[in-house]
Amino acid sequence: MVSAKVVIKNPTGLHLRPAGILCREAMNFNSVVSFRFKNTTANAKSVLSVLGACVKSGDEITFVCEGADEEEALATMIKAVEGGLGE
Amino acid sequence: MFKGTSASAGIGIGKAVIVEETELKIKKDTITDVDAEKARFQRAVNQAMEETDALANDLATRVGEKEAEILKGHLLLLSDPMLVGEIENSISSEMVNGEFAIETVCNMYADMFTSMGDELMQQRATDMRDIKTRMQKILLGVSSVDIGALPAGSIIVARDLTPSMTAGINPLNVTGIVTELGGKTSHSAILARALEIPAVVAVDGFMSQITDGTELILDGSEGVIFANPDQSAREEYTAKREVFLKEKKELEQYIGKPTVTKDGVTIELVANIGKPEDVEKVLQYDGEGVGLFRTEFLFMDRTSMPTEEEQFEAYRKVASAMNGKPVIIRTLDIGGDKEIPYMGLEKDENPFLGYRAIRFCLDRKDDVYRPQLRALLRASAFGNIRIMVPMVTCLEEYREAKALVEETKKELDEKSMAYKKDIQVGIMVETAAASLMADVFAKEVDFFSIGTNDLTQYTMSVDRGNDKVSYLYSPLNPAVLRSIRHVIECGRKEGIMVGMCGEAASDPMLIPLLLAFGLNEFSMSASAILNARKLITGYSTQELKEVAEQAMSFVTVKEVEDYMKDFISRS
Repeated sequence: MVSAKVVIKNPTGLHLRPAGILCREAMNFNSVVSFRFKNTTANAKSVLSVLGACVKSGDEITFVCEGADEEEALATMIKAVEGGLGE
Repeated sequence: MFKGTSASAGIGIGKAVIVEETELKIKKDTITDVDAEKARFQRAVNQAMEETDALANDLATRVGEKEAEILKGHLLLLSDPMLVGEIENSISSEMVNGEFAIETVCNMYADMFTSMGDELMQQRATDMRDIKTRMQKILLGVSSVDIGALPAGSIIVARDLTPSMTAGINPLNVTGIVTELGGKTSHSAILARALEIPAVVAVDGFMSQITDGTELILDGSEGVIFANPDQSAREEYTAKREVFLKEKKELEQYIGKPTVTKDGVTIELVANIGKPEDVEKVLQYDGEGVGLFRTEFLFMDRTSMPTEEEQFEAYRKVASAMNGKPVIIRTLDIGGDKEIPYMGLEKDENPFLGYRAIRFCLDRKDDVYRPQLRALLRASAFGNIRIMVPMVTCLEEYREAKALVEETKKELDEKSMAYKKDIQVGIMVETAAASLMADVFAKEVDFFSIGTNDLTQYTMSVDRGNDKVSYLYSPLNPAVLRSIRHVIECGRKEGIMVGMCGEAASDPMLIPLLLAFGLNEFSMSASAILNARKLITGYSTQELKEVAEQAMSFVTVKEVEDYMKDFISRS
């Protein structure tokens, strides 16, 4: 299992479209990709789960990846968030 | 006569077609073959996705990408592994039918979104319910009303229209839309405007008053509907309809045309707005940007101050919708004349000369001004936002506001949050003091926008709301004209943009003078834009110089008015 923290940069936070982009990235991996925020853990492969976490711009989340391709998955997710998720 | 909310302008005359969604009866059945039920559910999901995809593509080509976005969002939700997984789980663990499993799981998510409270999340709740119904209908074999196949001259009457229903509407056979629910910004209203179908929404109890086939006249501009009209009403509205269409067509020629005078001077023709939703109208009338976004509305009719996040959302919406075109946002302009209980503003003896606008904001930096500036700066990452400070009377006020902007920028830098680094900060010129000092201000500020409503009021010392003295209120008064000309000249000398966002900017009597003085930007209500473009493109600023010189030589308002009226009737 690997994990890393990242701050959400894109201005609207994790709303529908950015969440959709995040999920598409996560789906490319076999690992379980999730993130922790406040007291919840969200499944990064589910738009609904990501939306449900209610993450806003400036919030810090912790990605947790577990599986054969966990290192690569983690790096990709961090990069996607830092790249602003299409916004 | 029935009254509702005007949602899309124009006159519709035709026959009512009542569109009612049959209430789906979802029964809880116990199943035995889990795998078969799962497969049945999966087929329904696939079919729902195909249907949604087709609707989205059709809407995107017929109306626009923006209108199709809601349906594209539905695709994301329909393909969500968690949603599908939970419904499958419910089928297998509780041994229930797909319809029922969909009902429970989708309702749970819809409720979750509703409880989150913000506006975007409310939209997600509506989305959840819409996809729920779509999947259930497929499972139950219930067909949707085919709005695309209505006879010509139909007026759709419905409780509310869901995105999937509105997607099929065709202006060739639908001449009007009436809904019992909804508002100016509901999905059906937005689509009606995009398709230019007259519409009235929020007509309470309308469906119980008419039947299928009732003759209707609908005035979307006024928000009224007449059932079973007599011959004279019919004639009156047929004539009104023709006038509306003719005028619309005449002005539509100016959509997409540049605002350039005959002698080649390019003018920026922009709009005043009060709410993010107004942007749609700005785009419809081809506004070249937003010249004044009044932010007061965000603070009114509520019990607590809007959060930075809420403000950010509102500003971002406008900035992204305008897609790089300038958006001038005026910081909070309130005072003792507005009732905002939670602000702790005491009743002012003289609210227009008292504790208001920038005076108030600089006194309430931490709880009012900083959060607003932060929201503005953050939103500036999405477009061409400019910040405008209202009711400035002395240089210190501008400097203090500007310093706060700089401090806020640093704060954002520390958090590595995005904003427009070279954001412009300008002032509204609406006090006599700012006008007299315009030469000094012009050296420091990034732009001027003349607020003629207040400038006239403060220059003439007249309350235009008071009938006994309102005759004094005219921007054509020589004193006001001199003030306006002075401000424009000072701004031009320093090479900054000078705009006007008061009502005078769309006044046919003033436009020729403003052009002659050298005003760069005219900001007005969106619906006035095309007429202003028609006027501006018909003038040559060089020729107008003489007119202005003549007008400025008069010493009474009556002389100026008579001269301008005469000039307009000749041109």
